[in-house]
Formats: sequence, structure tokens, C-alpha cells
Amino acid sequence: MKTAVSFLATIALTALCASGGMAQKAHANALVADLSKDQIRVASNFTGEKILLFGAIEGTGPSGASDVVVVVRGPSENFTLRRKKRVAGIWVNAEARTLGPLPGYYAVASTRALADIAPVSERAKHQIGPEYLRFSLLNQTPEAAAPHAGPRDIALYHDSFVRIKSGQNLYSVDPNGVSIIADRLFRAELTLPSGLPFGTYITEFFLFEKGRVVGYQTGELSVAITGLEQWLRVTAHDMPLLYGLFGVFIAGLMGWGVATLFRRV
Amino acid sequence: MQIYLPIAEMSANIMTLIGMGSVVGFMSGMFGVGGGFLMTPLLIFIGIPPAVAVASEANQIVASSVSGGLAHWRRRAVDIRMGLILMSGGVAGSYAGVQLFKLLRALGQVDLLISSSYVIFLSVIGALMLRESLHAIRETRKGRPIRVRRPGQHSWILRLPLRMRFRQSRLYISIIPPLLIGFLVGMLSAIMGVGGGFIMVPAMIYLLRMPTNVVIGTSLFQIIFVTSAVTVLHAVENQTVDIVLAVLLMIGGVIGAQFGAMAGQRLRGEELRALLALIVLGVACKLMLDLVFEPAELFSIQRLEVGP
Repeated sequence: MKTAVSFLATIALTALCASGGMAQKAHANALVADLSKDQIRVASNFTGEKILLFGAIEGTGPSGASDVVVVVRGPSENFTLRRKKRVAGIWVNAEARTLGPLPGYYAVASTRALADIAPVSERAKHQIGPEYLRFSLLNQTPEAAAPHAGPRDIALYHDSFVRIKSGQNLYSVDPNGVSIIADRLFRAELTLPSGLPFGTYITEFFLFEKGRVVGYQTGELSVAITGLEQWLRVTAHDMPLLYGLFGVFIAGLMGWGVATLFRRV
Repeated sequence: MQIYLPIAEMSANIMTLIGMGSVVGFMSGMFGVGGGFLMTPLLIFIGIPPAVAVASEANQIVASSVSGGLAHWRRRAVDIRMGLILMSGGVAGSYAGVQLFKLLRALGQVDLLISSSYVIFLSVIGALMLRESLHAIRETRKGRPIRVRRPGQHSWILRLPLRMRFRQSRLYISIIPPLLIGFLVGMLSAIMGVGGGFIMVPAMIYLLRMPTNVVIGTSLFQIIFVTSAVTVLHAVENQTVDIVLAVLLMIGGVIGAQFGAMAGQRLRGEELRALLALIVLGVACKLMLDLVFEPAELFSIQRLEVGP
């Protein structure tokens, strides 16, 4: 496995060096990376999947001075967050804010704690870490119109969003998720949970030295539903009447089948 | 073994779902009730989004009411004319219920609607059932025959205009009360994911004064059509029907119902009802506590752009 990885990496490096003059970013040749698979298929037995993110680095500093940060972001969506308050003795949704666009999935893995790798300004610039994701307050739903929402209020909702997503394993920060082998190769393993949003994911690889980005590469990963589940989902959204009638038909057939079966027994 | 539920967007254990279907099916076979009012809260307790639980459970009830209803149909224990009147009210009620559901869903209040409807109906029904069955148990212990209460014939509501003759039920009554009962049950069906037999059956006996031999069959007859309407309307308006979930519950339900019916024959009627009343009150209690106590997580997320 490791041999295969380093072999691939060498080929990729050679190719990059050959075209080095054409590289759009000056530092792009410091890092090459790839994924173990670029398509995740969600079928009926899907309970999550592991992907391997790996690559090679060309460190310029002394041994051990390079850090790698891997970011995987799901498709961006808008989310309405609701906050429960006690009204007349019971807990009800009393306040709402719509935030967006925010990725439905976000994972960051690194060789060390992010705070030790880069200063806040750099992390904020590259949106490394869920707290640095850029979004705005939207007024898409009438109840979410909140002219009085202050920055502290927005931060509270954003923190809650990250907390709930982390609880569902859809947001994660792993400061020991990337391991560097012999100052050259790196690998990170990521476990994608079962509640993944579907769509195109962006993978980003950063090579940091002395708190600055010296290498960067980006790629894509697609997460798609497949098989019977896909058919059901597409029908449910595009032909809801047909889907509903299909549900009733199956239920009727099953009820009739059982009644007939147990009548004979 | 895990299975991915495409509409609930989560994976759940197949055996858990089939097992829950069988337990509730067992109870419904034993007590002779639909079981929707137990299954929907159970689905919510295991983490299925309440809106998906309600709509998918309505789909499951179509199957259980078809299999139960066919037996009554073959015995001709169905008042078709009354069933059709109840059904017309029921379909209109389910339309109203689904619209209300959709509106409150957009406002983020649908979970509250579902929980509070359950708390109110389960505690009232549970308390009435418990009182009635305890009374019956005491009377039988004392050796007195149980008197079935049938106060005064034909109350004024049945003498309202638009009267119709229901030959099978030997009634000549206004169609307004059955239409209204149907409407109420249809609405509850759409909001709570239940068949509504627990309201329909007492209403038919005590309000419409139908003979008991056609009550269950007629109730199941209209439940088939009302839950079918609820399923289709929820699919169209809210896209919350998870067929995979419904089918798993159906499989468990039909198996459980057969064994439940056998077990039910060995137990005494009033003791069964007392037991069911306690279960109903237990579920109501749990739902109420969830509303009253401060939840661990005060925030919730709803995705705005939903696509395949």
C-alpha cells in the first residue's frame, strides 16, 4: 500500500515538476495529494465509509517543520436554526435564524493542533476550522427575520450549529488526523458517517510552514445515492403523487396478501 | 443489520424496526386496536423525524387496516353507506390536517403540534379506558353483571336535517354527525399518524348508536381510505413518507398481529383494557415530560434546500 502510494506520488510529482512553469500558483509544486476513492455511493446498506487522503510533500524547511492540513467540505446549504424557550411551562421553538451558505459536512484533519500550525488570520482566510466558516444571516423564512440579531446572537447560533453537526459526526476536527511519514508522505483517514448530505464535496490540502501556506491542492469527491433508494428519493421529490400512490399500492398489496395467507392457514 | 432510510435520511437497524412493528402489531392484535398511536411515538423516541414518523406510519396503517378489514368484509360486517359518509368527512379532514401540518412545519412548530395532540388525546382516552375497565373489573369481582350504558335513544344531533337510511346499521339519521366525526378523525390521522379507531369506534357506538357487529368492520373500511388519503397528501405536500420504513413496519406488524390475536383470546377483556389503558397513559406521560423538562439540546437544525 505504502509503496503504491509513494509510487503514485512520485509519478504525480514528476508530472508536476515537468509542468512546473505552467503552475498557476507559485507554491503549488510543494504538495501533491489524492483520495482513495472519488465517489461515495450511498446504497441501502450504507452505514458510513472510510476514505484515505494521501499525498507527498516537498518541504523547504528543516525536518519536521512542515504541517499538513486536510479539509473536506460538503455541498453548501442554508439552515434554519431554532431555539427552544420555556413558554407557559413547556419547551417550544421560540426563536429562529437562517444561516447560510454553510457546508452540510465539514471535516478538518491536521498533523498538530490547528492553533499551533497557523495564526488565526491565516486560518480565517482559508476557512480552516468550523469557527472560521463564512456565512451570513438570511431572512428566508418570515419567522427568521431578525433585525435585532447582534454579533453575539449570531455566534450563539453558529456555535449551536457546529455543536449539533459535531454530535451527528458531520462536523469534525482531528488535530492528530494526518500523519507524515519520513518527511515526505502524508496520509489521513476520514470516516464519513451515514447521514451524509449528497452532492459534490471539495477536498483541500494545505502545506504549512512557519504559519504560512506554502503548498495547496484541491480536489472533488462526489457523494451520491444509488439503487432503489435513489429511485425512491427522486420519485418522492419529482413525482410525489406517483410516490404516494405507490406507497398505498404496496401497503394494500401487503395487507391483502397477509389476509389471504392467514385465511388459508 | 443497518438499512438506510432514504426519506428520513438516516440509517436504522432493520431488526429494531421489524421488532417494534411486531411488538406494536402484537398489542394491536391482542387489544384489537390499530396501534398507530403507539407506533408513531415509538418511532419518534428512536430518532425518526416526527414528520416522517407520522406520514410513514399512516402508510403502514393502510396495510394493517386492509388485512383486518378484509376479514370483516367477507363476513359482510361493513356498513358501506356509513363507511362512505365517514370517509368523505375523513378525506376532507385529512386534507385540512395535512395543510395545517405543512403550515406549522414551515413555522417549526410541527413537532409541538404532534406531541401536544398525543398528550391530550392519549391522556383523555387512557384515563377514560382505565376508569371504565377498573369499574368493570370491580363489578365482575362482586359478581354483578355488567350493564352496558345506552342512555336515551336518538339524541337531537341525530335528528338534524339531511337524514339518510343506513340499512345495515338499521338507522335513519342525519349525515351531519358522521361527516363531522369523519372530519375530526381524518384530521387526527393526518396530524398524529393514526387510524383513529380509538375515537371512531366509541363515537360510532355511543354517538351514532350503530350496532356493535358492524362497528369494527365499518371503522376499518373508512380507515383504509383515510390513511391512504393521508399517505398520498403527505407525500405530495410534505414529502415525508418513507416507504422503506413503512414496509419494514408492515412486515413486523403483520407477524405480531397474528400472535397478538391468539394471546388476546386467553386474557379477560376488562383486564386487557386496563393494561392497554396503562400503556397509553405511560406513552402520554413520557411525551408530556419531554415537553415540560428542559431538553438537553435547546437548538435544532432544519435544512432549507432539500433535493434528491
